[in-house]
Amino acid sequence: MSVLKCRDLRKSYGDLQVLRGIDFEIEKGETKVIIGPSGSGKSTFLRLMGLLEPPTGGKIFFEGRDVYTSGLDLNIIRAKIGFVFQEPSLFRHLTALDNVKIGLKCVLKVNNDEATERAMEALKAVRMEEWANYYPAQLSGGQQQRVGIARALAMDPDVILFDEPTASLDIELTWEVIDVMRDLAKRGITMLVVTHEIAFAKEVADEISFMDGGKILESGPPDQLLRSPKTPRARRFLTRLLGGI
Amino acid sequence: MFLLDYSYLIVQGFEMTLVMTFLGLGGGLVLGVLSALGDVYGGRALRALIGAYVEFFRGSPLIVQLLLFYFSVPTVTGVRWDAFTAGTVTLMLNSGAYQKGYFKGAIEAVFKDQLLAAKSLGMTFWQTLRHVVLPQAFRVVIPSWTNEYVSLGLSTSALIVIGLRELTTVSKSIAAQTFKPLQVYLLTGLIYLIWISASLKALDHVYSRVRIPGLEVSAEAS
Amino acid sequence: MISAQDLIFLLQGVPTTLSISLISFAMGFIVGMPIAMIRQLSRSFELSTVLEGYDKVMRGVPVLVIMLFLHFGLAGLVPLFRDPFISAVVALGLRSGAFQSQIFRSAMNSVGRDQMMAAISLGMTRAQAFRHIIVPQAFIVALPGLGSEIALLIKDSSYSFVLGVLDLAKYSDILRAATRSFIYPYLLAALIYVAMTFPVANYLDRWGSKLKTKYGLR
Ligand SMILES: Nc1ncnc2c1ncn2[C@@H]1O[C@H](COP(=O)(O)OP(=O)(O)O)[C@@H](O)[C@H]1O
Ligand SMILES: [Mg+2]
Repeated sequence: MSVLKCRDLRKSYGDLQVLRGIDFEIEKGETKVIIGPSGSGKSTFLRLMGLLEPPTGGKIFFEGRDVYTSGLDLNIIRAKIGFVFQEPSLFRHLTALDNVKIGLKCVLKVNNDEATERAMEALKAVRMEEWANYYPAQLSGGQQQRVGIARALAMDPDVILFDEPTASLDIELTWEVIDVMRDLAKRGITMLVVTHEIAFAKEVADEISFMDGGKILESGPPDQLLRSPKTPRARRFLTRLLGGI
Repeated sequence: MFLLDYSYLIVQGFEMTLVMTFLGLGGGLVLGVLSALGDVYGGRALRALIGAYVEFFRGSPLIVQLLLFYFSVPTVTGVRWDAFTAGTVTLMLNSGAYQKGYFKGAIEAVFKDQLLAAKSLGMTFWQTLRHVVLPQAFRVVIPSWTNEYVSLGLSTSALIVIGLRELTTVSKSIAAQTFKPLQVYLLTGLIYLIWISASLKALDHVYSRVRIPGLEVSAEAS
Repeated sequence: MISAQDLIFLLQGVPTTLSISLISFAMGFIVGMPIAMIRQLSRSFELSTVLEGYDKVMRGVPVLVIMLFLHFGLAGLVPLFRDPFISAVVALGLRSGAFQSQIFRSAMNSVGRDQMMAAISLGMTRAQAFRHIIVPQAFIVALPGLGSEIALLIKDSSYSFVLGVLDLAKYSDILRAATRSFIYPYLLAALIYVAMTFPVANYLDRWGSKLKTKYGLR
């Protein structure tokens, strides 16, 4: 059964239709990657799947249950869906460690000692354990982003959504984040990733989807989609993207 | 020296000044935080109400506010109240209106991305407020809040118009009794000056202890 | 109940309130601007210590106490201060001088070092750069602060009531005593104050930010 699934998902802001009917699902242990031009609705799609905004049409299922009609507590599901944002969005008054602990303590009601233990474990997984007591302002963008990943990871979520986690970073800092994400994918963490790091996608993705104009135009295994895209728009996009490399 | 005979009165007056300042600041803090939250998260009617409250108390003199509350509340409600109660309530309302502006700026300085991050962890609105927004707002508000402490502390001298025996009121009557206004007011000024300077030093010390790297930006008062 | 007559009666206090505020604002400018310049340019330690002391006193003592000091304490030595109006204006003006010097200094600082460097690189002297480059820009940046300062003076001019000046606050008190109505005189006076402070603060704030965007300042 899929962890997260949507059917005919739609979203409009006023007159602007941003998502025009998306069908998508991700199963346990899978890593799926979404690519597409800027403004195509990728972030919006992820925010909807993370239950951070309600859709204006269609349905979202978490472990088979329609999240908006089955009377589930949305916050409980949100706790089971990790989210890593494009901009490092750490809580600026908390140390790295406390950033990772806060969800455990507030939402999962884990006691302090256990929260510390789990948080340190998560920080280790992103190679940030030595920075546990630093504040966000004292960390580089890449380090902040890794703490953001640890914050999501520590909640032991069923799936983690990544919205272009390296897009706001310098090239050197990109690798340290990508390396961490590769580790997670290999550990079998279920991941839905919007990214244009094609090498990463090629290596770990079970499937890549191409999004444009609020729709998923095509999906396929990395080799097929990257090498021989079927739609002209995907072809044009990939030529530009890969041409630069 | 002649002032020694009056030192006891002066100390009492100064105590009253301190009490009124702290009551006003404390009540104003609660009112200010609540109205800032109402203004940021509330509906239209609530925001209009808060706007009127703030505009009235920030736009008119404390002296007139004191007279208004001191005289009008007994007339309207039939409840007698003394200068102390009237003064306390008015100072709280006055300070709350200013503190609202400072806290609003500070709350808005907690960027949207952090609110979304809190939501993604499954935190409720109240948890987010308590663990993310307010702790940051309280730190960011510190510089403006220091100003409010000084400004409210000094404006307690306005309590003279309702006859509350704080430092300025007491000094005025001592000056009249002793026929030595020059010395009396010099001394009074000195007491205020030492008090305010010492408070600023002490507050600075407190602030350096709660400071967090990256959070020392001051909020624009709005 | 309230009547048009009462309103007209109260409005008699407005000219006094406004003259106290505006004259003390002008005085504050005359005192504050040179202080800001001196503290910005002068390297004399003694001078800056004295000016700092002045600043501390004006910020650490209630303006009402300064008024009382001038009017009752100094009047024996300086007959000018027998006039409560003058005492009120001078007290407010002195304090405004300290406040305005701070407004101008932070405005000058925000205009910044690189502008000064650029001007000097053109061959201007420091003083010329100051006068032609820094000060005009600083004025624009200072506008919102000056707006709040005028509003503050309008409100604090009411302290002159304690000296017996016939300002708006005093008129409202007279009206209360005359009509034995305990609400409307003060409420109305408060609203008249709001009507005076609100436009000043907001207008200068808006004008300032418009000019700032126009000239690309901060
Ligand atoms: N909260 C919002 N309000 C209005 N328009 C929005 C909002 N969020 C996104 N949009 C619009 O939706 C479109 C898709 O945005 P986004 O999902 O961020 O695309 P992508 O992440 O693919 O670049 C853009 O045109 C954007 O302006
Ligand atoms: Mg995006």
